[in-house]
Amino acid sequence: MRATETTTPQAAGNGVAPAGPPIVEMRGISKSFGGARALDDVSITLGAGDVLALCGANGAGKSTLVRILAGVETADAGTIRVAGEDVSIDSPQDATRLGLNFIHQELNLVPKFTGLQNMALGYEGGSRTGFLDRRAARRRAVEVIEGLGGGVPLDTEVERLTVSERWMISLGRSLMREARVIAMDEPTASFTEEEAERLFSVIADLTKSGVGVLYISHRLDEVLHVSRDVTVLRNGRMVGTFVADEIDRDRLTREIIGREVTDLAPPPEEAVERHLHSEPVLTVRGLAREPRVHGVDLDIHPREILGVAGLVGSGRTELARLMFGADSPTGGAMQLDGKDFSPRSPYDAIRRGVALVPEERRSEGLLLQESVARNIALATMHDDRQPTTRLLSPGRMRATAKEMVERFGIKVSSVDQLVGDLSGGNQQKVVVSKYVRAAPKLLILDEPTVGVDVGARGELYGIIRELAHAGAAIVLISSDFEELAICDRVAVMREGRVVDIVDGAHATKDHLTSLCYAVPEEKQA
Amino acid sequence: MTNIPIDAGLRTSGRSFDAWKFFGRYGALLVLGLMIVVVATLEPDTFATRDNAINILNQSALAAIIAMGLTFPLVAGEFDLSIGYNASLAGIVACTLMVDSGASIPVAFALAILGGAVIGLVNGLVVTGLGVNALVATLGVGTVVVGINYAIAGGLPVSVGEEAFIDITLGRFLGIPYPVYMMIVLAAILWVVLNRTVLGQSMQAVGGNPVAARLSGIRVDRIRVIVFIICGMCAALTGVLLASRTGNASVNGGDGYLLNAFAAAFFGSAVLRDGQFHIIGTIIGVVTVSVGFNAIALIGLGTYWQYLFQGTLLILGVGVATVARRRAG
Repeated sequence: MRATETTTPQAAGNGVAPAGPPIVEMRGISKSFGGARALDDVSITLGAGDVLALCGANGAGKSTLVRILAGVETADAGTIRVAGEDVSIDSPQDATRLGLNFIHQELNLVPKFTGLQNMALGYEGGSRTGFLDRRAARRRAVEVIEGLGGGVPLDTEVERLTVSERWMISLGRSLMREARVIAMDEPTASFTEEEAERLFSVIADLTKSGVGVLYISHRLDEVLHVSRDVTVLRNGRMVGTFVADEIDRDRLTREIIGREVTDLAPPPEEAVERHLHSEPVLTVRGLAREPRVHGVDLDIHPREILGVAGLVGSGRTELARLMFGADSPTGGAMQLDGKDFSPRSPYDAIRRGVALVPEERRSEGLLLQESVARNIALATMHDDRQPTTRLLSPGRMRATAKEMVERFGIKVSSVDQLVGDLSGGNQQKVVVSKYVRAAPKLLILDEPTVGVDVGARGELYGIIRELAHAGAAIVLISSDFEELAICDRVAVMREGRVVDIVDGAHATKDHLTSLCYAVPEEKQA
Repeated sequence: MTNIPIDAGLRTSGRSFDAWKFFGRYGALLVLGLMIVVVATLEPDTFATRDNAINILNQSALAAIIAMGLTFPLVAGEFDLSIGYNASLAGIVACTLMVDSGASIPVAFALAILGGAVIGLVNGLVVTGLGVNALVATLGVGTVVVGINYAIAGGLPVSVGEEAFIDITLGRFLGIPYPVYMMIVLAAILWVVLNRTVLGQSMQAVGGNPVAARLSGIRVDRIRVIVFIICGMCAALTGVLLASRTGNASVNGGDGYLLNAFAAAFFGSAVLRDGQFHIIGTIIGVVTVSVGFNAIALIGLGTYWQYLFQGTLLILGVGVATVARRRAG
């Protein structure tokens, strides 16, 4: 154990010295998802009354590690010790029994229940009969919320509370029982500064009472502020564990990014210049949808691949949905080919030549129970009609699907195969084919390579390049900044705004990541 | 290309004959076949005759029309509980128009079916515009429909003496009653709509995944309204034909079709397809029930056997198919 006393103001005067065994110790944890290594020999140690931060870029393996501790996933290898004893956590119930509590970004509250009802879920204190002892539950809930500084209404439906109040209810729920560890995933993502300050003092109180806090955040200043130690993950491997006092923000950023070789072709040369001289396909001015997107300006040119970089929650997906008419903006305007463009639905957008390959492939992109051919036809069914009878021709539908299957190298036994039986990469190619069939002038792809294996990934890049070459404008949203190397330009989004546009030659992972993490002071500069 | 596991895309291709899968798809048909064979053996003189076969189809026709209509909301992932009341109202409206306003038969039919379409439209608008769950919306609209029915007829049956009106359901062509032709023609039209038009495919897409359908440029709300309208029109057609069959519209004559139609459509979803609603399945569902009822009558069992049979059939048909699909993986 590290003996260094942290000087972080809130954690100072920490009464519980890390004398006993660490409260949670994960050793040599490895985990693979179908061939892909998500975690490779990762170890973390969290002492009672300590705050351990977990840092890493998107996809570094933080969530997988937390999910293993929460019993949602099972590790392929490695051991977990809680308070010095070997344990196996096979289900979320096991984790709860061990006093491990998790506050995920989604919070998992019942929106129609009041704060009290939510906190009482799973609370059995004072009940001997199996019925919920409401008075005992209320007493305990009030006690917990007071302990957290109070001020959170307990009798209001959770859906009417602010994000930070909901978060407090969620934290309160885990404190109803005795909690030894609380893991917080991006707690301050939607907090104001005061709300964040309040959270930090709550964390200080928790640690004083001996609770260990696992703090996961992209906000590095915060991380350094609240935690004693910081464990950095990169591509599923441990980079190291650092004492928060002995490391600064720049060093931490470097450790998170690492030095990696990009296997993608370098960004295209003088072609970029040529694209930018042509009239933009889409101009976006002041486009907003509060509270996630505030006034975005953007020009997208034909034959251009425009990357959009940003951390999770920076408003990238929301922006894409606005351009596609899937959501309606609260402000701003767009022009497509010089004409006013305000799509009221994806139907309008597709007819005007704008398509979006959505982020959630399975839930937003596919009819899993239907065939490959039907899925590919979905956005352009009118083209499969027989000219004379105007009726759909399954023959034509299958013929076009076969063309797409060949063009994009989709691995299927036949176009009648159910799309749900395909691998992630092939499913993604089906979704892309569906929208390519609509011959879009502007194709937006939201995280097209998530869950796609390396080979298919390369092929998808090939498809994207080919489409741009044929004259389409491409918007590529990605959390994998290495893949943005294929872009002509990259727009960086932070907190709902486009804060910078970097040309392809300078869009290194390094540079983009530091732009995404920029601290508020830099933003104003 | 070489990085992709060879078997990734080909999981189902090499699968040999799968008994569970077969049973899941054809089990319901086997039940129908088995039932026909058994009853034909037991009652060869009365059951296995041409007349009785026509009789069974004739008995099925009205239920099939309303059930095929119901298949549309079900395909799109919606429900319609107003169909029975809608059918009752249509009979009352058609007969009242003929008796009180002296409307001709075609006009009375057209207006009654138009009324059914309006009820469907209201259902659709309440579901899409107000965002009310379809079960609640159609229950509410259905109750309002009952109210309108009583307001028009005062709770009393309306009789139409006209021979031509009764002849619509009792008349025969080539020895087969008109309703059987109507069922077949309507089935053909609705099958084409559902399987060979952009509209029908959009309905299936909305039922399969409304989010993906919307992001694929399908106007989901419009599709939802249309399925309710088709359903409402079919219900009204059944209601009018029912009144014609007896020459007399009773205020609750069509109410009983609600459960029949649901039972048939759900049983039909277990026929040939993996739990998807479809026109042919629905017809087979209706015919299976009719065969059972017919057999119960011919063998001379009590009426209560009809209910025991229909309930058991529904649970077994859908239950066995569900289990079989799970086993087939």
